[in-house]
Amino acid sequence: MYSSTTDNVLGYHADGAAKSSFDHSLMPPCQAACPLRMDIREYVDLVAQGRIMEALRVIRDGNPFPSICAYVCTHPCEEACRRNQVDKPIAVRALKRFAVEFGGDRMVYAEADTTHNEKVAIVGSGPAGMACAYYLRKLGYPVTVFEAHSEVGGMLRVGIPQYRLPREVLDTEVKRLAQMGTEIRTNTRVVSLDLLFDMGYKAVFITIGAHQSIRMGIEGEDSPGVIDGATFLREVNLGLKPSLGERVAVVGGGNVAIDAARTALRLGARKVSILYRRSRAEMPADTSEIEQALEEGINILFLTAPIRVKRRNARLSVTCIKMELGEPDASGRRQPVPIKGSTFSRQVDTLITAIGQAPQMPSDFNVRIGRGSTIQVDPVTLTTNRVGVFAGGDAVTGPATVTQALVAGRLAASRIDDYLRHRYPQAEKEAREVLKGDLLPETIDRIRKIGRLEPPILSPEARTGDFKTVELVYDWATAVNEARRCLRCGMGAEIVSQDKCATCLTCLRICPYNVPRLDASGTIQIPSDQCVACGICIAECPAKVIILRKPYDRRQINDELHHILKSAAESKFKPFIVGFCCQYGLFGTGTLASLWRESVAGIWIVPVLCVARVEADHLLHAFEMGAEGVFIAGCGEQCARENTAYRINQRVGKVRKVLTQVGLQPERVRAFTSGATYLGISKELDMFIEQIGGLYLTSTIMQEVKS
Amino acid sequence: MIVAEQKNLEEIRRMIDPYQRVLLLGCGTCMTVCDAGGEREVSFLHSALRLAQAKSGDGIHSFLEYTVKRQCDPEFIDLIADKVSEVDAILSLGCGIGVQALAERFPDMSVLPGVNTSFMGMAKESGVWDERCAACGDCRLEETAGICPITRCTKGILNGPCAGTKNGKCEASKDMDCAWILIYKRLERLQQLEKMRRFYPPRNFRAIPRPKRITSKVSSTGEENG
Repeated sequence: MYSSTTDNVLGYHADGAAKSSFDHSLMPPCQAACPLRMDIREYVDLVAQGRIMEALRVIRDGNPFPSICAYVCTHPCEEACRRNQVDKPIAVRALKRFAVEFGGDRMVYAEADTTHNEKVAIVGSGPAGMACAYYLRKLGYPVTVFEAHSEVGGMLRVGIPQYRLPREVLDTEVKRLAQMGTEIRTNTRVVSLDLLFDMGYKAVFITIGAHQSIRMGIEGEDSPGVIDGATFLREVNLGLKPSLGERVAVVGGGNVAIDAARTALRLGARKVSILYRRSRAEMPADTSEIEQALEEGINILFLTAPIRVKRRNARLSVTCIKMELGEPDASGRRQPVPIKGSTFSRQVDTLITAIGQAPQMPSDFNVRIGRGSTIQVDPVTLTTNRVGVFAGGDAVTGPATVTQALVAGRLAASRIDDYLRHRYPQAEKEAREVLKGDLLPETIDRIRKIGRLEPPILSPEARTGDFKTVELVYDWATAVNEARRCLRCGMGAEIVSQDKCATCLTCLRICPYNVPRLDASGTIQIPSDQCVACGICIAECPAKVIILRKPYDRRQINDELHHILKSAAESKFKPFIVGFCCQYGLFGTGTLASLWRESVAGIWIVPVLCVARVEADHLLHAFEMGAEGVFIAGCGEQCARENTAYRINQRVGKVRKVLTQVGLQPERVRAFTSGATYLGISKELDMFIEQIGGLYLTSTIMQEVKS
Repeated sequence: MIVAEQKNLEEIRRMIDPYQRVLLLGCGTCMTVCDAGGEREVSFLHSALRLAQAKSGDGIHSFLEYTVKRQCDPEFIDLIADKVSEVDAILSLGCGIGVQALAERFPDMSVLPGVNTSFMGMAKESGVWDERCAACGDCRLEETAGICPITRCTKGILNGPCAGTKNGKCEASKDMDCAWILIYKRLERLQQLEKMRRFYPPRNFRAIPRPKRITSKVSSTGEENG
């Protein structure tokens, strides 16, 4: 590396290798909120750079079935996203969907070798069972999945409607499981665990889900025309078409209630309403699901509960009572209290109850049952009261999310591995410190507001006729622009040695976000919870004491420059130009793509993650290694910061001064940063190349004249 | 803080011309703060010198770059003794004091100044420094409301303003404030205008001979004090 002669007694110099490899980045709130601990910041950043395949690889590292999560994840990451404090959170789930579709997730081929003899039985093929099978196969165990229904997938198949999760996606994942050598037995209900052990299975994972709807406990609940949500969705999803009549009411406020209502609409019901006993604020269903349901014309009656059902003339008369909200209960939600004398009746053809579900355990399993018919397990080992029997998923937690089920499956696989390999199970530790703290109002003020870009969805008219997928996928430019909104929490700048810092206050004075501050003792601090990793201070710090927390970010420009200078030296096109181009604008949004595609041979591009990080030294080095011209191309108007262009021009000015003094024309270095439009910057660059070509020709002729 | 600016590249190249191996030595204190000779500037100069060498085609120099915490203390300089033994000259990006401290510590080594030490001053804003003190050794700031006429008046007069003041600016430059007008305004604000009405006799230059030395050692009888 060209700066290898730099070392210094005062700082991190002592160990050159350590300087480039230590990782001080903090875990961002999105990752901390994700049950799977997916490296969200990383893949969002890769999408922002247009590196979709790499983004998919990061996603697949942390998630066995990313395509499924891309459709149905409840995205707690978005709730935790700190961009929410500025405008709206990053659309993480939609970006994941973009990455799996454009990155080619369905083409990924999964393989696994069998390296162990101990057979493992998985009872239930829901997300927890599938994840457990996936990871156990990866660990080399022979796995059999038993499924009572005719098709694999558990709630993914029989619970979630097709318009939310297309069946092809699920089928692809199931096929991949089979590809990995998982034995899958459908239509096989396991009634006794002893039988499984007799069949030679050494460990059993129970993941039978929570398919039994909870009863409302009101008069007339068993009348014909009343059906529970889980059964209704199961019948529809397995291909039956229950006849519902014209008017349907659904009781409940969770995702199952919304799913049932929207499914009823798609089966031809004219008037669908939802009865929910609390108000909208308490509704546990996903906000976007509620919105979409309202768009489709579903009527939600809040603060309403049924108290009696009567069947009369092939119709149901549902007596309801209005509620008001009282004191908060144990769950923190305000308890609904009936208002006296507020009863009213509604006539419906079908009443669907969806007020919760519980597991339904075959008694022969002989496992200890706890609250709400769930299986009792040790939270660390996932073991039940029976030796070799593990349990997870909704069967243990009660109805929960797909992601939580995947986590249970993954954990179960490693615990079963521990058990079969006779290892003591270790509690999992958080690898990295989690970034805490909110953005300060003064930081928020300085962050450019960029609205959240939602993926397109089908219009209510186009989607309610059948079970077509409601949400469409981003196009390339929208996805990249959405991903670029990420604030890169926890990977910002840090002062690597306070001793070496001269406390010159440069960082404090130039930070576009006013992040660095002086503490009471006069030491400068860069709070990790405020920095958004633009890198401006890093390229300006006179003591070179500020670095980015992630090793890749620190090395990136040096490595890329080194690489292209080597390639340029080996290339047959001798006169060459080096361009430092914004990686986001280059591949990501395509603003600078023309520089890459239309450039003539001899133009070498160093992609950089924001041109603010390009130092004057980098420019000089390119000249030293023989470049005839050097340019910097920023993404211009799309840049997240206002003063990048100013700083770049300062550095270019400094380099021009040196060029003049060593006898080179100052116009050999240029910055294209301001308000760059697609055509403008491309044309300007053409002119620049022509100019450099002219200078090169003149200097060659001059040399020949001299000799 | 001491403020300096880096010499231009041509002058530096001329100075180092006779020497093959040159140590570019930065200083981690004032020179870092005033952007003249901290680690970044050392590295930038290094790149510039190598570029110049590559362009002129006479590549005889090899460079080593380094930055010490403070060049004006012998203990810090001692830390680089082994590096100095490998070179033919040191180009110091420390202030004039640093250059001399190095020269004193390494009697057989050529030490070259890489910066022009300019003044003692303060940062006005990011990247702008202003002179504030002339180190005259006879501070009168109490009488002039904390504004130094010796440094900030072009003439350095003690009884101002002179007739060259116009609209609060100095006749030498329209962009420069007249120090004595500033003093007047500040005294007025502090309600100490009577200090304006006094005559200040000429300074006694004999009382402050150069070079000066200050010692914090307590002198005891019979001991020489420098």
